[in-house]
Amino acid sequence: MSSDQSLRAQVSPAQGPTQAQSQTDTTAADDPDEVAYVSSLPGVLGTIDAAIARAESALLAAGVLLMALNTVANVVGRYLFQSSLFFTEELNRILIVVITFAGISYAARQGRHIRMSAIYDALPPRARKILMIAIALITAALMFGLCWFAVAYLLTQAGRGRVLPALQIPVWTTLVIVPIGLFMTGMQYLLTAVKNAISRDVYLSTVVLEGYDDEETEV
Amino acid sequence: MAAAIFSIMIVLLLLGFPMMVPLIAGALVGFVTLFGGLGQLETMIQQMMAGIRPASLIAVPMFIFAADIMTRGQSAGRLIDMVMAFVGHLKGGLAISTAAACTMFGAVSGSTQATVVAIGGPLRPRMQKAGYGDSFILALIVNASDIAFLIPPSIGMIIYGVVSNTSIAELFIAGIGPGLLILVLFAVYSWAYAVRNGVPTEPRASWGERLRAVRAALWPLGFPVIIIGGIYGGIFSPTEAAAACVLYALILETLVFREMGLRDIYRTAKSTGLITGVVFILVAAGAAFSWVISFAQIPQAILSGAGIDQMGQIGVLFAISIAFFIGCMFVDPIVVILILVPIFAPVVADVGLDPVLVGTLITLQVAIGSATPPFGCDIFTAIAVFKRPYMEVIRGTPPFILILLGVSVALIFFPQIALFFRDLAFPGEAG
Amino acid sequence: DTWRYAFEEALDEVQGIYAQKFKEEIEANTDHEIQLFPYGTLGESADIMEQAQDGILQFVDQSPGFTGSLIPEAQVFFVPYLLPQEPETLASFFKNSKAINEMFPKLYADQGLELLTMFPEGEVAITTKEPFKTPEDLDEVKVRTMTNPLLVESYKAFGATPTPLPWGEVYGALQTNIIQGQENPMFFIESTKMYEVTDYVTRIGHNNFTTAVMANKDFFEDLSDEDRQAIRDAADAAFAHIIDYQKGLTEASVEKIKEAKPSMTFTTLSEEERQPFKDAAGEVEAKFLEMTGDSGKEILDQMKEDLKTAEDATQS
Ligand code: NA
Ligand code: NA
Repeated sequence: MSSDQSLRAQVSPAQGPTQAQSQTDTTAADDPDEVAYVSSLPGVLGTIDAAIARAESALLAAGVLLMALNTVANVVGRYLFQSSLFFTEELNRILIVVITFAGISYAARQGRHIRMSAIYDALPPRARKILMIAIALITAALMFGLCWFAVAYLLTQAGRGRVLPALQIPVWTTLVIVPIGLFMTGMQYLLTAVKNAISRDVYLSTVVLEGYDDEETEV
Repeated sequence: MAAAIFSIMIVLLLLGFPMMVPLIAGALVGFVTLFGGLGQLETMIQQMMAGIRPASLIAVPMFIFAADIMTRGQSAGRLIDMVMAFVGHLKGGLAISTAAACTMFGAVSGSTQATVVAIGGPLRPRMQKAGYGDSFILALIVNASDIAFLIPPSIGMIIYGVVSNTSIAELFIAGIGPGLLILVLFAVYSWAYAVRNGVPTEPRASWGERLRAVRAALWPLGFPVIIIGGIYGGIFSPTEAAAACVLYALILETLVFREMGLRDIYRTAKSTGLITGVVFILVAAGAAFSWVISFAQIPQAILSGAGIDQMGQIGVLFAISIAFFIGCMFVDPIVVILILVPIFAPVVADVGLDPVLVGTLITLQVAIGSATPPFGCDIFTAIAVFKRPYMEVIRGTPPFILILLGVSVALIFFPQIALFFRDLAFPGEAG
Repeated sequence: DTWRYAFEEALDEVQGIYAQKFKEEIEANTDHEIQLFPYGTLGESADIMEQAQDGILQFVDQSPGFTGSLIPEAQVFFVPYLLPQEPETLASFFKNSKAINEMFPKLYADQGLELLTMFPEGEVAITTKEPFKTPEDLDEVKVRTMTNPLLVESYKAFGATPTPLPWGEVYGALQTNIIQGQENPMFFIESTKMYEVTDYVTRIGHNNFTTAVMANKDFFEDLSDEDRQAIRDAADAAFAHIIDYQKGLTEASVEKIKEAKPSMTFTTLSEEERQPFKDAAGEVEAKFLEMTGDSGKEILDQMKEDLKTAEDATQS
């Protein structure tokens, strides 16, 4: 398990990526994923967790690229070969589910989920810490609950045997990522609660300290 | 039940929970109350899936991806340099150009979220450099993007047209007047902001410099050609244009400008996926929440007690504005249209209102609602993409919201703002 | 009790009219109350179907075309030129068909649904930007279809380029010429303003849009005998009402379109002109059999037989 000190270093802007800067200076989405994910789980669990994190990011990237490719291929098919790809719409729908649910888990690792922190920010550190532990635990519980019902939904779908009209594959197979993503997100929040409980600082996720980076302060 | 749900949501929101929690909890409480237990929560999952299913949503990750490639590479910078060569010397010139670009892009792409990313993404850093405050910039981007709801093609107007049996072609034309009026007012405000805050101007560029800037932007000018030419030329749907932009951006930055390698593309795609997940889980949770509101017939219950059938034309228009404004603060705009339009339809017919005027007003309210706290897709998108705190993103919105509300009131008292162009194009319908 | 009933169209479209009549009958004859949920207020077609299966909704109207992903045999309604075109024959067909009244209820029951009725929503017409009379005229014409393999197959067989597109994008796609045609019943062409973005309406008589109303099976079976009978009676009354309502509906829709857009051209192909399209239908039938196997064949054969019975009964 990494020490708090090294984690702090990972999120400091000074350690940011050495990517080629464009003429427009820092970009809107300049490496939101710049925090190298280090699992806070010990031993084999940590290895597995890190592997899952890599798998999630691979899924995200592949999903987005495939979506672009699939959509463009349909246009090409329609104009050059007078034949639309009959499955484009369905494949995109599958991909959007994959991206969303791989994305929420990945975003939880990175502490990127949107929140309104006005009141929270005004609290003293100790209260913030307690509140953050409560937030993380409740969010985790909610995610595990949803995961449970997502599994139930999946089983119901499998039982009914509904298939996608064009691709003719069972609908439930396209939703497998949903409970997995929810479970992984729940795990991340659970670990965040633990991390907050055992560390001195307040963490948004297991690897991200609270507070927005201040490189982009108001002019 | 409604009051309890809204209270829970607001409290969770204020305490600093991730935004998906208030939405999911709101839906959850609704389901448990409606069905007396956890028995029907599979439907909640179903509706979350339904929320991210619309094919038009695909345009969002695609435009995020394209904009990110353009911004990490050279395309965006070259395009903005070109615009600056023409407007950099004007007070508020960059802000006004941003507003205009958001309006144009939103109009064609049909997606306000995509606009926040595609136009806001590259222009925000440049505006910051030019001396604009970040809250102003973020509010300008979010609100100017929402003008897109009013300018064709507008999915909100199509849905309204179908539900209310109103000519979609007429609605499209009627939206242009208020849309342009808002743009003009935003431009005036931007100018006033620039003057009051002493935002410096650049020296006027010579025609030689301008020519050089245009030449440098020649390749990236392919983007507007793909988007505007492609969509209005009947080659692409907006979603497909987004994907085509991705491809074009990849080609430009890897082969022409040689700014990016495979590794950069992978990282950009991953970051796009993350932003998409962050925003779409809220869309999903919002859909489940909307379902509860719809199933419990909460709007019907509230409106049946409001006595809308006792109001005159002006009263009905105000009632519609308020209902849609409040509805869109919490619930997905499309669902709001689907639920509320049939409820108002009889009274609209009774008092003899022009359904095109009503449709334009509703579309305007939907636009305002999407940019208005606490829940708004475009606010979420801006937070996710720009990585700024919620409060900072909404801090600058009040002047814009005031302008938008002002235009709504103006539209109620001067329907010609919407109907002038409509009557010009469809002379038979006047009256 | 309060029963909930969702359907796939707006309140003033055919499914909505049926639902309103059904509601009226139930509320007049029982102490129960019905809440109606039109298109999109509880989700898309597949969503409300699942909600009915889950028992959240007591009644649902879903067209067999959409049910195809759940009950493949239901796609038989997409086989062109299978349904009669004469309104009276059509009504008699739906009323008496063995396939509809005996075979389909079993298939729906397997999915936890009590099939109450199936009814026609109107002849499907094709709107296009250019006129056509033959399959050759449709060459390179992109016609929007639902994402349904048989519909795609049909338009291929008709010579066009079938282009599956989500409904929300159809208006815009016609306006910008990404597609040049789409198909729907006349009332729907009118209410969804498809005529604003196309110029020709052609009736080739290939299909009549069919829809089905069902109840959640557990809910239905737990009811008292009187309530069950009241529901059956309400379904029958609404069926009679909707058949009556549809008399002249197509013509009325045509009038409305002509009034809104006088330049709109309406063409009904003659039997002779339809022949090449009918010939093409064989390919679609083959595709249907390939997708559904023996049980599909059984339904298809029975439907053909029912069709003959209906024709004999009404044309004598
Ligand atoms: Na638009
Ligand atoms: Na809002």
